[in-house]
Amino acid sequence: MGRSAKTPATPAPALRGVLEFADQLAADAAAAQVPLPPAQLHLITFRLDGEEFGLPVETVREVIRVGDITRVPQSPAHIRGVINLRGRILPVVEIRTRLGLAPLVPRSTARIIVAEVRGRVLGLLVDSVAQVQKVPADRVVAAPDEVKSAHTDYITGVVQLYERLLILLDLARALDASGATHP
Amino acid sequence: MDNDHAFAELIQEYIAESLPLAEAVSDAFLALERRWQEGDAAAGEVVELKGTLHTLKGNSAMMGLRPMQVVAHALEDLAARVAADERARTEAESALLVEGAGLLIDLIGAAADAQSGSGEAEEFVARVRRRLEADAAPAVPLRLERRRAERRPDGAPDAGTVRVDFRRLDTLLEIFGEAMIEQSALTEVYRRLAARIGSSAEVTDLDRVVVSLRATMKRLESALMQTRLLPISTVFNRFPRAVRDLARDEQKQVRLVIEGGDTLLDKTILDRLGEPLVHLVSNAVVHGVESEAERLRAGKPAEAVLSLRATALADRVVISVSDDGRGLETERILAKARALGLEPASPTPADVHGLIFVPGFSTAEQVSHVAGRGVGLDAAAAAIHDLGGGIEVASEAGRGTRFTLSVPLTLAIVRSLIVEVDRERYAVPLSHVAETVRVEPGALHEINRQGVVMWRGSAIHVADGGRLLGTGTTRTAPRNYFVVLFAGPRHRGLLVDRLVGHQDVVVKGLDPTLGRPDVVSGATILGDGRVACILDAAGIVAQREAA
Repeated sequence: MGRSAKTPATPAPALRGVLEFADQLAADAAAAQVPLPPAQLHLITFRLDGEEFGLPVETVREVIRVGDITRVPQSPAHIRGVINLRGRILPVVEIRTRLGLAPLVPRSTARIIVAEVRGRVLGLLVDSVAQVQKVPADRVVAAPDEVKSAHTDYITGVVQLYERLLILLDLARALDASGATHP
Repeated sequence: MDNDHAFAELIQEYIAESLPLAEAVSDAFLALERRWQEGDAAAGEVVELKGTLHTLKGNSAMMGLRPMQVVAHALEDLAARVAADERARTEAESALLVEGAGLLIDLIGAAADAQSGSGEAEEFVARVRRRLEADAAPAVPLRLERRRAERRPDGAPDAGTVRVDFRRLDTLLEIFGEAMIEQSALTEVYRRLAARIGSSAEVTDLDRVVVSLRATMKRLESALMQTRLLPISTVFNRFPRAVRDLARDEQKQVRLVIEGGDTLLDKTILDRLGEPLVHLVSNAVVHGVESEAERLRAGKPAEAVLSLRATALADRVVISVSDDGRGLETERILAKARALGLEPASPTPADVHGLIFVPGFSTAEQVSHVAGRGVGLDAAAAAIHDLGGGIEVASEAGRGTRFTLSVPLTLAIVRSLIVEVDRERYAVPLSHVAETVRVEPGALHEINRQGVVMWRGSAIHVADGGRLLGTGTTRTAPRNYFVVLFAGPRHRGLLVDRLVGHQDVVVKGLDPTLGRPDVVSGATILGDGRVACILDAAGIVAQREAA
């Protein structure tokens, strides 16, 4: 498998893209037409390599500490392994590799977000979990096309919250889009 | 969405309930047809079946499954005519009854796929109607020939039986697995505690509880396994009709004898037994049994006997498929094997016959049609090996052939050897472990960059566990053990660091997100709560290159 343990100093291209377009986004926010029915989004926010991401609370079942993760031979590159969650064996997705980042070297802040994606329960390995955040739906704007290319068509939108930028993930798509490569 | 789901569940229930009924109907009509051919025009079954057909019709109507409903109805009418009128007991009627029952089985089996098969159903019903009108004989008072009905294991359930969705049993097994893990954790804590505080009345009490808990868990396991067992007749039941149809196509007379249909097996095995058995049975009819003329010339009865027999042993079930046909043609098999570059271990018939299971043998050429035994035998053998089972053939020229399959009772709980490779633990099903051997210095050789070791007098390939499983650790220290894995006749060694012990593991499937690894067949939770992958021993043995 040979996963490298070091974290890159600069954010991945995709993320840099998001940052660069942040200003423009704020300006475009009013104009952008993003169809999102609920007035308030409840998001669980988490960090990956310094950036903050959000997932709808409804998809999240629980957040757990990182224990033993068993590697599964020949599994796709974005799968970290499997864990035992009260007798149930769940795959743990290394969401970082889906975003072009190096695999996580878990620290004490690392967490596994147990989420339900299209009826399947799986764990997402994240650097840390921040909080539950309410976001007015009309603050969500589409990610710029440049960012949405290739790697990142699973970014549903971004939210400007005061000085922070929150990236909204479409998990189902993030896991489908088969970067499912065998090492 | 929810409605769809509920409907799908109802359909599953409908299939689970109706399929055995339709199979019972089909069996009875087949028996009827046979008897009529033998000149005994009794029709007792038909009376017995009235209720069953009515239930099938009702169930189908309730689900809005019109094709099944109309076919069941037509069969009801035809059966009533047959029961009432001895003159209506001809081959035409019996053929229609058998065909209708078969159609019903097909329709019910495919009930989950929308509204298919209505054309076929209408066409059948129309033919039944024409038949009924054609010989609209004056009604004769119903003559009830109450023959003693055979008790069918798959007939109406007893009052003491409940129908349970199999997924619930899976859930039970999962919970049991958790309890098993907790039990071993408890035992571990108890050991540490006892070591620390020494002997005391409480420790003695606790010791007793821990020991009896283990015994109770063992009993619970076997009781739980009992609930998961189904009679092998659920697989065998498809054969009376399949054999009849195939024999008719081949213009042969074949009598199928089924024994031991009540032998119990776990559903995990039954689900994977059907396909190899179909191969063996259809090969027997098509290739094993001679033409009628050929049989008569050989002084055999025109009707061939094909028997399907299941016997339960302690932890295995042995199934045999035997025919009284022409037998394997040793010379031809040998010739074909040599053409493929294969050489038997010895020229004895047993070794030569064993070649038919070699991958590629029976699929290689059309010649197999004549040479021995038709297509797909290697595939059938591979399927049986995957289950951790074995397959053998015994044959005598001119007298017949017998295939003997031996399969484990279950795949749900598997006795395993736990090994460690680069600090990762894996479970290896013991059904595939021939031996574990300590690596002696100098025992390991490298030929053409592949590890080779002498084992029981032959050279076998050994693969490094770390490389095979991609542990990603570069290591220099040699491994301590090799585990000799086998699937059927093939062996392969796997180098590991440590043998941890034996454990009964509850097998869990891999989530589809994990892809389809060749070397891993599932996962389980070990005593310490960690997950371990279960090695796909058959897959590993079958791999050509282990690098």
